[in-house]
Amino acid sequence: MATKTLDRLWRLLLFVSKLCCLTLLLSSYTTPCMCRVGLVAQSNSLEERASKALELAQSGNLESAEDELRKVVALEPDNGEFLQELGTVLAMEKKLEESTSFFERALRIEPGALVARRYLAANLWQLHRFAEARQNLQILLKAKPGDPQTLLLLGMVSENTADYSTAVKTLSSVPALVRAQPESIAALARSYYHIGDADKARLWLKELLNHPAGTRAVLLGAQIADEMQDYRTAEMLLASLPTDLSDQATVKYQLALVKFHASQFAESEKLVQQLLDAGHQSGEIYRLLGRCREEQHHHQDAVRAFQEAIKLEPTNVTSYLDLGKILLTERRLVPALELTRRTANAFPESSRVFVLKGSVELAAALFTDAVDSFSRALQLDASGADASIGLARAQFGSGMIQQAEGTLERAIANFPNKAPFELELAQLLLKQAETGDEGAGARAEQLLKSAVVHDDTLAEAHYQLGELELVRGQAQRALIHLEKAAKLNPTSAKTHFALSRAFRRLGRNEEAAKQAALYDKLKDQETSRASAAPSTN
Amino acid sequence: MPQQPRPPIRNDSIYRRILPLILLPLAAFLSFISLNCLQPTQAQSSSPSKEIFTDISEEAGVTWRHFSGESQDRFLIETMGGGVAFLDFDGDGLEDLFFVNGGETPHGKSALPVRNALYRNLGNGRFQDVAAKAGVDRFSFYGMGVAAGDFDNDGFPDLYVTGFPASALFHNNGDGTFTNVTDRAGVKNAGRWAASAAWFDFDRDGYLDLVVTNYVQFSFSDVKKCELDGKPSYCVQKAYAGIPLALYHNNGDGTFTDVSERSGLAKLIGRALGVVAVDTNDDGWTDLFVARDASPNLLLINQKDGTFRDVAMDSEVAYNSDGVAKAGMGIDAGDVNGDGKPDFVVTNFNDEYHSLFVSSPAGLFDDKSVSSRLAEYTKPFVGWGVHFIDYDNDGNLDLVIANGHINQAVEATRIDVKYKEPPLLLRNDGKGRFHNMRDFAGAGFRAGQSARGLAVGDFNNDGGIDVVFTRLNEKPVLLRNNEGTNHPWIGLELQGTKSNRDAIGSRVTVDIGTRKLVRWITGGASYLSSRDKRVLVGLGDVPDSTEVAVEICWPSGTTQRLSHLKRNQYRTVVEPNADELPRENRK
Repeated sequence: MATKTLDRLWRLLLFVSKLCCLTLLLSSYTTPCMCRVGLVAQSNSLEERASKALELAQSGNLESAEDELRKVVALEPDNGEFLQELGTVLAMEKKLEESTSFFERALRIEPGALVARRYLAANLWQLHRFAEARQNLQILLKAKPGDPQTLLLLGMVSENTADYSTAVKTLSSVPALVRAQPESIAALARSYYHIGDADKARLWLKELLNHPAGTRAVLLGAQIADEMQDYRTAEMLLASLPTDLSDQATVKYQLALVKFHASQFAESEKLVQQLLDAGHQSGEIYRLLGRCREEQHHHQDAVRAFQEAIKLEPTNVTSYLDLGKILLTERRLVPALELTRRTANAFPESSRVFVLKGSVELAAALFTDAVDSFSRALQLDASGADASIGLARAQFGSGMIQQAEGTLERAIANFPNKAPFELELAQLLLKQAETGDEGAGARAEQLLKSAVVHDDTLAEAHYQLGELELVRGQAQRALIHLEKAAKLNPTSAKTHFALSRAFRRLGRNEEAAKQAALYDKLKDQETSRASAAPSTN
Repeated sequence: MPQQPRPPIRNDSIYRRILPLILLPLAAFLSFISLNCLQPTQAQSSSPSKEIFTDISEEAGVTWRHFSGESQDRFLIETMGGGVAFLDFDGDGLEDLFFVNGGETPHGKSALPVRNALYRNLGNGRFQDVAAKAGVDRFSFYGMGVAAGDFDNDGFPDLYVTGFPASALFHNNGDGTFTNVTDRAGVKNAGRWAASAAWFDFDRDGYLDLVVTNYVQFSFSDVKKCELDGKPSYCVQKAYAGIPLALYHNNGDGTFTDVSERSGLAKLIGRALGVVAVDTNDDGWTDLFVARDASPNLLLINQKDGTFRDVAMDSEVAYNSDGVAKAGMGIDAGDVNGDGKPDFVVTNFNDEYHSLFVSSPAGLFDDKSVSSRLAEYTKPFVGWGVHFIDYDNDGNLDLVIANGHINQAVEATRIDVKYKEPPLLLRNDGKGRFHNMRDFAGAGFRAGQSARGLAVGDFNNDGGIDVVFTRLNEKPVLLRNNEGTNHPWIGLELQGTKSNRDAIGSRVTVDIGTRKLVRWITGGASYLSSRDKRVLVGLGDVPDSTEVAVEICWPSGTTQRLSHLKRNQYRTVVEPNADELPRENRK
C-alpha cells in the first residue's frame, strides 16, 4: 500500500509541481500547487481518507477535500504529511493565511521537508510577507544550493522588495524557468531597468512577443515598459499585436495610457475617443479622457469627462477625486465644495477624500471646516503628509496658531522627509514674526536653513532666506539665495520681484529693470491663469 | 502748697536746628517720589489717569446717521461707507463738519430721505446741522467722499463730493450757502464710481487742481452673485475691473479741463481708493501717492510739465515683499522718523497688515510695517481712514486708524477676525516703534466699529487734534482730544497769495533747537475725507526759553522764515510777496 500510495503521490507531485511552477509566477492570485510530500500512514482508514481527499482535490472538489483532510488532521494532528496536504488544499482555495499556518506546523515536525518549505515560501510571497519568504528560501538554498525553483522564487521576492541587483542575479541564473511565465520575464525586465541596463530589459521584454501566453504576455510587457518610461518599447510591443484581436479595446486603452504618460495628450485623447465611439464605456476610460483634456487645459471638457466616469461608476472614489482636483485648480470653489461634501458622505472612510475636501475648504477660506476635514483625514491615515500640512494651514488660517505649530512640530518628528514640514513651519513662524514675535523669526530662519540641508531643491526655502537677508539690508547675501531660488523655479514671479529689489539696492539698476520686467510678464501670466470666479474674503 | 510737676522743657533751639535736617530730606524724598511716580515714564508717556479721547458725539449734537442702501443684492458699494470733512465753511475760525451720506440701492430703500449733514461749530462744544440751509444736504447720486478746498481762492472752502455715477462741486458762496457748479466747472466725472479726491496745485499756477480716485466698473444692474460657505455674500474687489484716475486742471475762471490723458493718469487703470498730494522728492512740485485696492499702489512724480511718472515699483511701494498688490484703502503722508522727508502709511485688508513706507537715502522706501509694530497691531483688521497726528504734542507723529470688516460672514470662518473692529491709536515712541494706546485712548477705541472715513481737526482750538470717523449705517463718532495740552504747540493757518489760498503743497519746518519738525499741508489723505488744513505742531519737551523758529516753503517757491513765535496759539501767516522778504530769504 505504501508503494502504491507513494507512486500515486509522486505522480500527483509531478503533476502538481508543473502546476506549481506555472501558478507560482502569476500575480498575487497565483494558485499554489497541491502536493504530497511524503507518506506517513497512521492507519489504513486515515490513509484512505487522505487519498480520497487528494482525489477530490484533483477533481476540483476542493471544499470536500478540505473537509476530509481536516477530519484526518483532527484525528492525527502531529502527522506532517497530512498537515502539508491540508496546507496545499487550503492554498488552492486561496486560504493563504490558514494554509501557511498548516505548512508551518508541518515544518516544525519535519524541518527538512523542502518542498513544503518552498510552498510555504510561495504562500508568504503571495501574502507580501517578503522577509519571511526570503528567510525560508535561503534555508532552502542552503539545503539545496542552486535549486532552480528556489532561485526563481527568490528572484521574484527580491524584485518585490526592490532588491533589483539580487533579482537580476537570481532570475538571470534560471532563464528557462523565467521564460516559462510572462510574470517572471516582467520581473527580470523591471529589475534590469532599475539597475540601469535598459538594453537587457528590452531584450527580455522582446521574449514576450512570441510567448505562449499570447496577448496577456505582450500587454504585461508593455505595462512594464510604460512604467519604466520606455515608451517606445511599450508602443512597439502594443503595435505587435494583431489588429483583429478580440480584445482590441484593452490594447487601445493601454496604448492611450502610454501616450498619456509620454505627454502626448492629444494623441492619447484621440485613442480614448475612438474607444468611446466604438461603444467601450467605462469609468477608467472616461477618467483617462478627463486627464488628457485637463493636461491640454480644456478644463470644462475635462469636468464633463469626469462626470461621465462618476455616472458609470458611482462607487469608484477615484473619479470624484479627479473631478474635485480639477475644480479646485480652476478655483471653481462652489461646485468643488458641493462635490467634496457629497463625496465625503459617500466615502466616509477615505482619507484622500477628506484631504481634498480640506483643500477646497482652505481655498475657500473656510478654515474651521478645513480643520475638521484634515483632522478626519489624519484619523483615517496618520501617515498622510498632505493632511498634516493641510491641517496646519487650516489651523493657522483660523487663528489656531499654537495648534498649527504643534501639528508641524509633530510631523517633523515623525516623518522621515522633514524638509517640507520644516519649510511650512518656517513660513508660519515668519507670519508670526510679523506680529512682533522676534523669537519666531529666529526659529524660522533656523528651520529654513535646516530644510535646504535636507533638500537643497526647495526653491521656496531659498526664496525666504533671500527675503530675510533683504530685510536685514544684506542685498549681496540675499542675491545668492534668490538666484538659487530662481534657478530652481524660474517661473516664480515673486522671486524675480525680490531679485529686482536686491539688484536695485546694490545699484545694479539695469539688472533690476530686467528682473522687474520678468516679474511683470510672469505676473500677467499668473493673473490670466487664475480663475475670475468671484469669491469672498 | 507743693509744686506741680513741670512739663519737660523743650529745647526749642535744638528743634529749630534739628527738625529741618530731618524734614528737608523727607520733603525732598517725598517730592522725589512724587516726581518719579507721577511723571510718566518713557514707555508710559501719555498713559494718563484720564482718557486720551472722549466721545462727545451725543453732547455735541452730532446725530446724523449714514445710510448704505444695504440690500439682498449685496452691491460692493454698500460696504464702502462715507467720508467726512473738517472745514471752516463760514470763516468764523471754528472748524465745522461735513458728512457725506451713501444712498439708496434698487432694493435698499430708506424710510427717510437720505441726507448729508453740515454741522456748524457753535463754539461751545456743540454743533448744528445746517446742510439744508446751506444747500448741500442732498444730491442725485450715491455719495462717497469729500475734498474741501478753496478752488477759487476767495477765502471760503468749497466742497467736492465724490460718488457714483457722478460727483459734484459745491462752491461756497461765503454767506453760509453753497451752489452746485459741477456742470459749469466740468468736473462731474460722469459714469464713474469715484472714491477719494484731493485738491493740489500740480502746475504751481496758484489755483487748486483736482485729482479723483476712481474705483471700479460698477452698475446697479450688474448684480454679482458670490457666496461664502454656501451663503450669499459680498463679492471681493477683484470681481470688479479697475478704472483710470481723473485729473482736472483748474483754469482759474471757475472751470476745469480734464487733463487725465495728457497727464498720463488715464492709462493708470486700477482700483484706486485713497490719494495724498505731497512733495515726495523735495523738488518743490507736488506729487501724488495713490493707494489702490488689489492693484499696485502708485507713486506719481510730478514731471513739472503737466505729466506724471509712476515710480512706485522702483521705489518699492507698489507691492508687498512678495510682489502682491495689497488692498490699499486709506493713506497719509508725514515725517514719522524725523528725517525731514515724507513717509507714507497705507491701510489694507486683514492678514495683509497696514503698510508703513519710510523714505531711505537711496530714493527708495523701506517697508517698516513689521519693525515699527504696525503689522502686529493691524494684522487682524481691515483699515480705512488713517492720519498721522501728534495727539500729545510730543513732536512725534502718531497714528489714528479707522477699521471695520466688509463681510459679516467672516466670523463663521475665522476666530481671530471680527466684523466690527476697534479703531487704533498708536503712539510713536520716537525710536521707530508704535505702541497701542488702547487702554488709555478712551471708550471710542475699545469697542468694535464699522468705521470708514476719518478726518482730524482741532474743533475747539485748544491745540489738541481731535478726530471724527464715520460708521456704516450708524452715527459718526466725534472724539475730543484731552491730551493736547501735555506739551506746548504752535498752530499756523497759512494763506497763500501767489500760491493757492489754502497753501496746499507748503512745507513747514519748525526749529526748536534740538530738533527740526517738518510738516506738510497735503491735499487729500485718509479715506474719502478731508482734514483741518491748519498746521498744528507739538513742540515736545522744548524748554520755555528755546526760541521757536519756522521756515515755510510756499508752493510758489517763496521761502519765508518766522521767529519768536508764541506758543499754544494759532497764528495766520499770509504768504508775502517776494519783495517783502528780507533779501536773504528771497528765492
